[in-house]
Amino acid sequence: MTGLFIQCLFVAIPFAGALVCLACWSDPYRVKMAAIVGSVISLVSTVGIANRLPAPPDGFLPLYLLPIAAVVSALGQPVHQSHRLSWITTMVFLGLGMGALTAGHPWNSLCVITLMLIIMLLLYHHHTTLWPISWWGIGCFGVGVVGAGLSLAAGPPISAVASLATCAVLLPLMPFHDGYLTALTRLPGSLPSFIVLILPVLGLHGLAVAMPAMPNEFVAVVSLLALLSSLYGAVKALAQSRVRLLVGYGSVSFFSILWWFVAGFHTATPRATVLAGAVGLATGGLLVAWQVIRTRYGDDVDPQAISGLSAAMPKYAVLLSLLGLAAMGIPPFGVFAGFMGLLLTAPPSSTIGLFIALTAWLAASWYIMQMVQQLLFGARRADLLYTDLRHPEFNSLLIVVLALLALGLAPTSLYAPDQASNKGAAMVQSLSWNR
Amino acid sequence: MEPLEHATDIESKRMELRGIVRVAGEVIAQYWPMRTFVHHNPLHSIEYLPFEEAVKRGKQFMGGSGYLPHHLYREYLKAGRIRSTHLDDALKPRVLDKHVLIGPHRVTHGSVIRACLAEGLCAAAMEPLDDQLDDPDKPQIEALARQLERVLHPFSLDDRIRKVVDENRASLCRWLTLSHWCDDTLGTQIVQQINEQMIKWCAAFLDEGHATWVMPGREKGLYEAWKAMASHEWSPCGIKDSGRKIAVLPDYPEDALLQSLDALGIPSELLQDYLSLQLTALPGWAGFIKWRGEERDYPWQQAYPVGLVKFLAIRLWYARELVQQACKDHLGIEGRYEAVMAYMRDYPEEYYLRRQRVAGRLPALYAEEVDRLSHRKGQSWNNILARYRAEVIPRLQAAARRGAARRLLALAHSLGIEPATLTESSPADLKQVVDWMEAFPESDHGPVWLKALEAGYQEQLLGQLRAHMTTAVPAETGRPSSQSVYCIDVRSEPFRRHLESVGPHETYGFAGFFAAFIRYRAWGKEHDTEQFPVIMRAKNEVREIPRSYLDHKVLKHQARAKWVQAGHTLLHDLKENVVTPYVMVESLGWFYGLPIFGKTLVPVLYQRLIAWLRGLFVPSLATTLTIDKLPPAETAEMVEAEQQAVVREALHEQFGLRSSRITPALVEGLRQRALTAEGDPEPPIAAEDIERAGFTPETISTFVDILRRQYELTPRSVSRQRERLTRTGFTLEEQVLTVDTALRMMGLTKNFARLVLFCAHGSTSDNNPYESALDCGACGGNEGKPNARALAMMANNPKVRERIGKLGITIPSDTHFLAGQMDTTTDVVRLFDLEDAPSTHRADIARLQEDLKEASALTSQERCTRFPDIQKMITEPEAEAHVHKRSVDWSQVRPEWGLSNNTSFLIARRELTKGLDLAGRVFLHSYDYREDPSNRLLEVLLTAPQVVAQWINMEHYFSAVDNDVYGSGSKIYHNVVGRLGIMSGPWSDLRLGLARQTVMSGEGAYHEPMRLLTIIEAPRERIDRLIARHDVLQHFYHNEWVHLVALHPEDGVWYRYHPDGTWHAIVIP
Repeated sequence: MTGLFIQCLFVAIPFAGALVCLACWSDPYRVKMAAIVGSVISLVSTVGIANRLPAPPDGFLPLYLLPIAAVVSALGQPVHQSHRLSWITTMVFLGLGMGALTAGHPWNSLCVITLMLIIMLLLYHHHTTLWPISWWGIGCFGVGVVGAGLSLAAGPPISAVASLATCAVLLPLMPFHDGYLTALTRLPGSLPSFIVLILPVLGLHGLAVAMPAMPNEFVAVVSLLALLSSLYGAVKALAQSRVRLLVGYGSVSFFSILWWFVAGFHTATPRATVLAGAVGLATGGLLVAWQVIRTRYGDDVDPQAISGLSAAMPKYAVLLSLLGLAAMGIPPFGVFAGFMGLLLTAPPSSTIGLFIALTAWLAASWYIMQMVQQLLFGARRADLLYTDLRHPEFNSLLIVVLALLALGLAPTSLYAPDQASNKGAAMVQSLSWNR
Repeated sequence: MEPLEHATDIESKRMELRGIVRVAGEVIAQYWPMRTFVHHNPLHSIEYLPFEEAVKRGKQFMGGSGYLPHHLYREYLKAGRIRSTHLDDALKPRVLDKHVLIGPHRVTHGSVIRACLAEGLCAAAMEPLDDQLDDPDKPQIEALARQLERVLHPFSLDDRIRKVVDENRASLCRWLTLSHWCDDTLGTQIVQQINEQMIKWCAAFLDEGHATWVMPGREKGLYEAWKAMASHEWSPCGIKDSGRKIAVLPDYPEDALLQSLDALGIPSELLQDYLSLQLTALPGWAGFIKWRGEERDYPWQQAYPVGLVKFLAIRLWYARELVQQACKDHLGIEGRYEAVMAYMRDYPEEYYLRRQRVAGRLPALYAEEVDRLSHRKGQSWNNILARYRAEVIPRLQAAARRGAARRLLALAHSLGIEPATLTESSPADLKQVVDWMEAFPESDHGPVWLKALEAGYQEQLLGQLRAHMTTAVPAETGRPSSQSVYCIDVRSEPFRRHLESVGPHETYGFAGFFAAFIRYRAWGKEHDTEQFPVIMRAKNEVREIPRSYLDHKVLKHQARAKWVQAGHTLLHDLKENVVTPYVMVESLGWFYGLPIFGKTLVPVLYQRLIAWLRGLFVPSLATTLTIDKLPPAETAEMVEAEQQAVVREALHEQFGLRSSRITPALVEGLRQRALTAEGDPEPPIAAEDIERAGFTPETISTFVDILRRQYELTPRSVSRQRERLTRTGFTLEEQVLTVDTALRMMGLTKNFARLVLFCAHGSTSDNNPYESALDCGACGGNEGKPNARALAMMANNPKVRERIGKLGITIPSDTHFLAGQMDTTTDVVRLFDLEDAPSTHRADIARLQEDLKEASALTSQERCTRFPDIQKMITEPEAEAHVHKRSVDWSQVRPEWGLSNNTSFLIARRELTKGLDLAGRVFLHSYDYREDPSNRLLEVLLTAPQVVAQWINMEHYFSAVDNDVYGSGSKIYHNVVGRLGIMSGPWSDLRLGLARQTVMSGEGAYHEPMRLLTIIEAPRERIDRLIARHDVLQHFYHNEWVHLVALHPEDGVWYRYHPDGTWHAIVIP
């Protein structure tokens, strides 16, 4: 009974926040503040009572990360009437996300379906002829919705495969990554920086349930797909000139590496959540950082037109550099910790696979650094007006950096109570590998 | 007959091309090797243009700005460094007699453009299409923008496209190379690719002993060496089949260049501009090659010839291939001038969108779309343009209105007008104000700011001089304690002032080479230095030799010096070898810890320790200079001795003979045989000498051949040696002429003191590739010590004094001339050749040394106040210690300020400035017009020292206004390349000009960039005559490179010379 109450509370708080936002509709500033306060309350309540729930296989970390990401997304947006809807939608997504993570069958799937349907609606609303690929994105989410529906309606093995397809849409895996990419590039306001965390985290959560039931042959195909996807993501990221696409493809590459580890493990462990959460958070942070530029120079600004920010916007330069380092997987941030955690606890299933994963990882230091360098260095343009971070933007980016630092340094046992058993399993596997 | 005509035709084409390249090279300045850093005007070659015009050329060709960033000028204005009155005066020619009414305010054209300057309202600013940053002024801006909508006519996209196309068609191959065009249109990086290739080849070819593995085939010349090497490269820059293409290039670089120009279809009338553009893409390397090409006697040039034609032949080959490739891949057209022109004409919309995309001016979605279409032509482009026209253009127009409204609002704030008044004003009036602002863009502000800045300084300096004239005490007529002559260098001014304040000393200013045009070789060195301004030529050579009474120590000294040298060579070889570094790092690496820690933690102590060790092992020897010419017999004897040494060395190298087996007779016999002309009887060699050496007649004959071929022991070489030796030293006539000229030019012709010091200058710094920039510019970037010593020795020669006396300059018998050198980093003055001073002068010398020491401490104290890292006044001993530490600190990026902040060149008697604090900013040349009735001396001063001062001034000016282009950037990133110059990082053009730390202090400019102000105390008519006679002076004054002011000695009125050739009396407040 207590469990049901807590689940309802987790869902209710964000929805209540969304209602408050609606009530303040005429004042964008109050809408934003309501969204932030709602997210903070959600975070506080999660930290306070989440441990009373039965521990999911991927740990409690996603529950903590979702409100943090919501706060970060809302803070990073400027106060403007055009963002009101995105703040309210962020709260709705947060509620649905909390529901999907904590509610039991079939409510969790229904939450995921609702989330994807709303995204499809928003994508349709923001469709432009200059971006025809958004049809593919909407289609991918359609696949996700159908998959989730089938997993509810059909029995095994169809339900397991359908569930896996939904996971591939949420935790992007080629060829189902277009939904994620389209959502990241086309959704308005604060949603992209929140979407990049909530979708992968929900996907991983679903994977943690679906993967153990998968037959080995199927898992081998998933492994192969994951490796190809990681390379594809890295190569595409290298070729991008637009920041959101670069960041999007880069995260696809990292999430694909995660798929490879999960497939090798046959389940999603809390360490996998660290990686998913860290990549999602770092990607969200980079999107907020890019939002800072868009706030100053317009939504449609071409990144090639911006340079020389390091001297003129020092606070921004420092935080963007740190975020860049975190996103490319440099210690002591969460991406590195998650990657190394998976690598050390689970011996890689194939050396070639490991080599490909490492190559994709290393490629990130090329394309992310290139982007950061282009923005921060180069000639300072006389015709650009430089304004360093405002307080909310600074706080937003600082929270991301601190959260990534915490993910890199905090012990996994903090948000995964069954860590001890995992450690034991890893040690056994490690010994057998040594033999 | 036909082949002959064909050959003549080809040769005439080559000659014509060489001429075009020479003229095209005018836009780049020569680049002197860094070991003899020469301050020069980077736009020296176009001084025939007015200053403002030349600055524009510099912008067009090199992208360099000719004025400080405007926010720095605005800071000067706020700080009072630029006064409002001067700014108004400078603006006056641009002000129109018009006004509008904004509410109750009468807003004049003058007030608008003044606000533009003072508040930076006309700065180009990108107005975002839809920014969301909080801005309290937003409602007002929106309201104003709505008001302006009625009067500001929206721009038309078609007009914009037409304008861009027309401008680019007009500038193609004039201001824009085809490579650049591809980069700007297609997003390629051809210019960078070519630059990288050229840097690679130039650095390898022009290396002067820095590289461990040298480029092979350099003796054939740059083009040929490149051809041989590059044809083995695999697809440089992605050029397909490059090996074959390079291999079939013509043998002559001129032909290859003509071929490339032909392939690119450059019209003949644009050839010169096109080649200029190619050279300015790498002005550093091209400048050095230009200098090498003009210095035919330069040993490296003789060994490895290079020239701009060769450079361009290589560059244009890459350009032609890459342009061809890019145009074909992206546009499906030939990479030729006419094809590119036709493309711009036939597909203007597509061209416009491509350019906007590359410039980053398209919204991201459109940029993506253009990228998608980048390899296509046709209908799709029209679709995207139609959408762009419908969706983006209205937003751009709205943004333009917002931009105008923002400026109006800022103007209202600046003029103290209530913003609400603006919205109540007539839109037509508002538009008028916007038009005024747009008609005065920031690109026009530079000259105004510069004039205002210069006017402020000039007013202050001239006021100071005038006030001093009225209060100055008449010159003392008694015999001074000493007289000393310093370089005109601005660093001498504080020292002279302080020396004069500590005792009855007279000082003079004179170009630091002291009229001694010498090529000098220091004792133990293998290379000569040219001790005179680079615009002159040397006539005489001077060598430093140990004093004769030290002959017995010379051999020992030489042996020890050789050991030290061998040790250095060994360590260098061990470090540079392919294998040994691995072992060396392990075994000797720790040994390097000592210098690293010593230099870093205790630099002064470490430097003392090293000096002590050096003195212990190789103690210095007292030396003298070969001032007098050698008699013929002595010359012959020296030649013989040198040749005998060569024979001995050859015997040792070829046969490993020990000296005990080599008899003098054998050496002499072999020498004579080698010098015997063919057909003449061979001189005999005693049989016992041959036997003792173990030779046979055949061996002797072979060895003589070797002597002739390998060791160049031939009659011709003897003649060359003799000629060289006869250049050593001065004849008595030459000495008399030198001393007489020097004394007259410096105005020191009577009332000689007992001691006259010729004080040169040099500097001390560690880890500073630019150290020669701190030395004496008049001595070709070297220390001036040899010149001072040479002049003092000549002046002390009784025969010279006797002859000079007959010329009207009577030097008392008790006057002794001393040589010294001031270290401009530590302010310490060292005196030389004291053992030549008569014992009667010991007390005078001791007193002079004491005063010099005192002046040195005072100068250090004054200079320390100018270092940004010293915040408060420090005591004299602290100042001395501080400057000494700076001189030995290898991490110090600013050992001294050098010539920074120089502003003026004063040609006048010392009485005019004695006691005045000129803050080390003025070049002071002593000149007394009364001693120069023929005007000859003034002519020399204006055409030589003034030119050097102007070069120094302009070097500093341009390095300060745009350090990235005309300067050499931060010292932190400097890397020495080829022992000839500096690159930023591992890969860049040779950096021109001065380092950032030399001219800038933090973000601001330490060197206030102003054009040189020359002040002459002489009748105007005399100056007019000289200006009429010399083109260089006309360029300086008529084109406003130098400001000229004259103090008429008779009426005491100051006059300014105007570019139209008229003089106007100056009213000094």
